[in-house]
Amino acid sequence: MKRGFLALTIVAAFLMVGWTMTTPTPAAARTIVIGLNIPLTGDIPKVGESSKNAAEMWLSDIKKAGGLKVGGKTYKVKLAIEDNESQASSAVSAATKLITEDEALAIVGPQASKQAVPAGEVCNNYKTPMISPWSTNPATTKDRPFVFRGCFLDSFQGPVIANFVTQEYHFTKAAVLYDVASDYPKGLAGYFKKAWEKLHGAGSVVAFESFTTGDTDFSSQLTRIIKSDAQFLFLPQYYNEVPLIVQQAHALGWKKPIVGSDSWGSPQTIKLCGKDCYGCFFVSHFVAKGAKGITKAFCDRYQAKYGEEPDDVAALTWDSLHIIQKAIENCGKLTGNLKKDRVLVRNAMAKIKDFQGITGKMTFTEEGDPIKCAVIVKINDKGEYVFYKSVCP
Amino acid sequence: MKERKNKRFSRIREMFSGIPALGWLVGALVAVIIEYYFGNSLADFLHMDRLPVLFGVVVILKRPLDIPGAFVYVMLIYAIPIAVVARLTSRLMNRIAGFFDRLPLWVSAIVHLILLYYVLSVWTDLSDYRLLILKLSLIAIMVTLSLNVINGYMGEFSCSHPGFMALGAYVSSIFSVGLFVNDRILGHALLGVVPAWVGQLVFPIGLLLGGAIAAIGALIVAIPSFRTRGDYLAIISLAFMFIVKSLFDNLGFLGGARGLGSQPDWATLPTIFIWAVLCIWTINNFVESTMGKALNAVRDEESAAESMTVNTRKTKMIAFMFGAFWAGIAGGLFAHVLRYVNPGTFGLRKLAEVLAMVYFGGLNSVIGSIVGAVGFNLLSEMLRPLEIIKWIIIPTLLILVMIFRPTGLIAFKHFDVREILKPKLKAKERM
Repeated sequence: MKRGFLALTIVAAFLMVGWTMTTPTPAAARTIVIGLNIPLTGDIPKVGESSKNAAEMWLSDIKKAGGLKVGGKTYKVKLAIEDNESQASSAVSAATKLITEDEALAIVGPQASKQAVPAGEVCNNYKTPMISPWSTNPATTKDRPFVFRGCFLDSFQGPVIANFVTQEYHFTKAAVLYDVASDYPKGLAGYFKKAWEKLHGAGSVVAFESFTTGDTDFSSQLTRIIKSDAQFLFLPQYYNEVPLIVQQAHALGWKKPIVGSDSWGSPQTIKLCGKDCYGCFFVSHFVAKGAKGITKAFCDRYQAKYGEEPDDVAALTWDSLHIIQKAIENCGKLTGNLKKDRVLVRNAMAKIKDFQGITGKMTFTEEGDPIKCAVIVKINDKGEYVFYKSVCP
Repeated sequence: MKERKNKRFSRIREMFSGIPALGWLVGALVAVIIEYYFGNSLADFLHMDRLPVLFGVVVILKRPLDIPGAFVYVMLIYAIPIAVVARLTSRLMNRIAGFFDRLPLWVSAIVHLILLYYVLSVWTDLSDYRLLILKLSLIAIMVTLSLNVINGYMGEFSCSHPGFMALGAYVSSIFSVGLFVNDRILGHALLGVVPAWVGQLVFPIGLLLGGAIAAIGALIVAIPSFRTRGDYLAIISLAFMFIVKSLFDNLGFLGGARGLGSQPDWATLPTIFIWAVLCIWTINNFVESTMGKALNAVRDEESAAESMTVNTRKTKMIAFMFGAFWAGIAGGLFAHVLRYVNPGTFGLRKLAEVLAMVYFGGLNSVIGSIVGAVGFNLLSEMLRPLEIIKWIIIPTLLILVMIFRPTGLIAFKHFDVREILKPKLKAKERM
């Protein structure tokens, strides 16, 4: 019995070694790895899903073309996808893992600022180019030569909204309702207030009300806003809060316009909000309905493949991946030394001028932030997002 | 048949029963040194992309084809060298351990710790990812252990630990960023930018400050809430956690919800290792002291303890502050590992994580906390490639632990350092 067991173990061991010997060697040197640091679980899994969808579409394009051509050589491309669980600490481990273990040449993501800020620090320390498609916090790219972003900043979006409302409605008095405990709404509300007061003088924001993440009853803030003589309400909130607030405002008798920010962009907003949101305007990175050219081609393909309209995250991720692709192609030649190649890609990325993406033309500033146009979107009477006008810096 | 099988297992167990902790450490050292020099070439030889970082689990989940390779790797690099070296040197190591046993305990403890540190530093030298996981695990040990003082030894249910961590993290960050870093949020460095070695000297001051503020926070919770027991303390401490979180959300000069970044890179492995050892040492001494016994008495029956001359109020207060102090230190280290803090990190999710580690590892036990924290962290990191399925597996495991071992894996166990480090004699020799 004992001898039999021993023999069996030895045979099994040899078989295993034999198996590993016959597995073909991957051509590691000829493969480019692009890391994806995205929230597939946690608070905003939809964001992770959209990013993953866009990335897989991009990868299938590259595969169809036979690989990525750089300086006459064709490289295979692999995606390394890491789930950052929508947590800052996990985003740091995911970034470290992508850089040191998966040997990513460049990284896309994290999407939300609370993860993009610490992960950007890691990428910058390891001198690995990172591009966050969706993070609007200035700290993400500030003083970090290796970190870029794919979207406009809140400091640009705030004035865009203020100018648009002034031109469109000729209003002079604004009300703002925002989440004080969430990074993005708080920042944007501040930028909007500054821009509005610059246009209409101090005190022209007549109501500046706040709540805390997770609140579901906004009646006291809304009552105060209704009592003030504000002519419209600016609401820089996410798709899960917008419907609640808009519906409660209407129930309390608010009939004036409500204007939103790029966080309204998810198709979920209108699904949850229904008729109450018809006629509202918001700022966005791109719009699927009525899109033309390459944007339309992307939207149609995405719709056909995943059965839903792409949201802004998907579009921005798509653009970010193409920026990386273009940067790699612009390198001219990869050395095969990962550390040197990362620096090459970073330098090529910083030099990109007038990149034609589906979310508009982009040129990076010295900080790694793009100069690009914003789109004003109107929610029409059928509940669709339609292009209204484009605002460029 | 079954008897035979049992016999074989007991023979294997006996083969390894006579090995002291020192022997295992030397075995591990040999294993990591072998990996350091031959790991990459072995991985190449086995046709793996890279050497498996976390014992091959991640490889298994991501590329099933590499399973045999990972298995052979783990056997050749870890299992076989550790077993062989530990077994072959057992006589020698027993003699050395016996020699240490006659010396004061601290000598032997320091020798073992140096050896352990050396093993860990060689192991993490191969991969920065491993290093990060190790750092986070060591910090998790500190947090878990400090919560165990309150939830395990004192038997209360406190939910304010993320709040204490946040206090420690922010205070130590204000110290390091405000004084030594030119930053946008906190402005110009008040004392100027210093070289790393000076940073290492002043870093403990920042951490201790963080710990002290956390302890003061604990006092603020403790004074009103210890008039109540059980559920009420849970509610008050939960409220405290939310108060701390919204405090930092609303403090604009600390970056508010945007968080505070650019902490200097001071939380190196030796620093964290020393703090973790200090934490385990002091907490173990605390719970083994008269005060610790009084704590257990309070947990079992407060009025009986009171009538046996235990000052229950003072005991509870000190234990609570002591736990909060170490949570604050851990928070400070955490902030300097991530080099960024935001209030959102210290919310309900962190609380669930910390509580899970405490109850998974075992109440009222130092070893339990270590096992719980390291196990939970490694598991969580290893299973990450599974994405959403990970969040089915980990809770299921927790439920199973709660069903079969309601107090946790290793609960109510003394952490006797001398017992662990002493020479182990074989059953025969003992007779």
